[in-house]
Amino acid sequence: MLLHILNRAPDTPACRQALSAMGPADRLLLIEDGVIGAMSTQRSAFPGMEGRLYALHEDLEARGLLDRHADDIQVVDVEGFVALTETCERTVSWY
Amino acid sequence: MRYAILLLAAPYSHQASHSALRFARALLARGHTLEGVFFYHEGVHNAARLAAPPQDEPHLVDGWAALGEAHGVPLQVCIAAALRRGLLDEREARRHGKQGASVEAPFELTGLGQLVDLGLRCDRLITFGP
Amino acid sequence: MHDETHHGDLLVILRHAPHGSSWLREGLDAALVAAAFERRVTLLFLGEGALALLEGQGVGPLGQKGTAPTLAMLEMYDIDRLLVEERALRDYGLDASMLLLPARPVGANEMAEELAAHSLVLNF
Repeated sequence: MLLHILNRAPDTPACRQALSAMGPADRLLLIEDGVIGAMSTQRSAFPGMEGRLYALHEDLEARGLLDRHADDIQVVDVEGFVALTETCERTVSWY
Repeated sequence: MRYAILLLAAPYSHQASHSALRFARALLARGHTLEGVFFYHEGVHNAARLAAPPQDEPHLVDGWAALGEAHGVPLQVCIAAALRRGLLDEREARRHGKQGASVEAPFELTGLGQLVDLGLRCDRLITFGP
Repeated sequence: MHDETHHGDLLVILRHAPHGSSWLREGLDAALVAAAFERRVTLLFLGEGALALLEGQGVGPLGQKGTAPTLAMLEMYDIDRLLVEERALRDYGLDASMLLLPARPVGANEMAEELAAHSLVLNF
């Protein structure tokens, strides 16, 4: 099970490529501008990823998105980010 | 676990360097080791000795240097990428007939082989790109 | 049950075309260094990276070397496992006869498998 880290919003090559390279059990963590994809209005950009989608708290907070993210996205702090990297086999970053 | 970080973006221009530094501090706080940080592509600019951001902004070069010194983390800057971008330590500056140096300890100019070595011997290599 | 086949030590993903940026060159350099240290390396050309394989490339307008000469060296470094995204080949209208080197087209499922089957993945 891999952890993919994405720092770009949906509808970018990086996002499209991350989604096409993800395995069925892989997890996706949105950081930096990638948290734009965590907005409720963007949720359809990540079909079939229930329980496997995460967003970094401090990046949501900085962008005023803490009250605007989809309910089923798991928000993690930076320690949670580290924890996610512990439980996967390896990470792949898309930027 | 043994971690390594690959940083591919310049400080200030992209958030990558901030994110990487936050991550580095968090992994150390969680009890892991950071075997090295490798700076490649535009990431070599994180070693810029002469960076002088305003007082009220994060000083990323100093941040990396402080982390390197406090925790004994090697800060390895790809020499080929650095030279092309004007990041030279004293030895390289002399070798190329330049006055002054733009990279100093604890940052060290090393070969790309160090990245491969770090990546393969650590448990996790996390990349932060632009 | 997931097949735990190990395809190699390092997978280098190349997502940028030649000349427009240094990404392709720097990604290839990392791959070559790994191969020089006797690691098993696979290259995956994804998106615009597929154009790195297009034959007939030349030097840049200011004399920049480009990456075609580097690609010609891959065989010498025992890098012979080249993969290219099927969708990219379609998008750019490329077929095997237009490529500098043989590369196996892969779809999304295979790409995910490749990422899982290498010890280290570097994305350029």
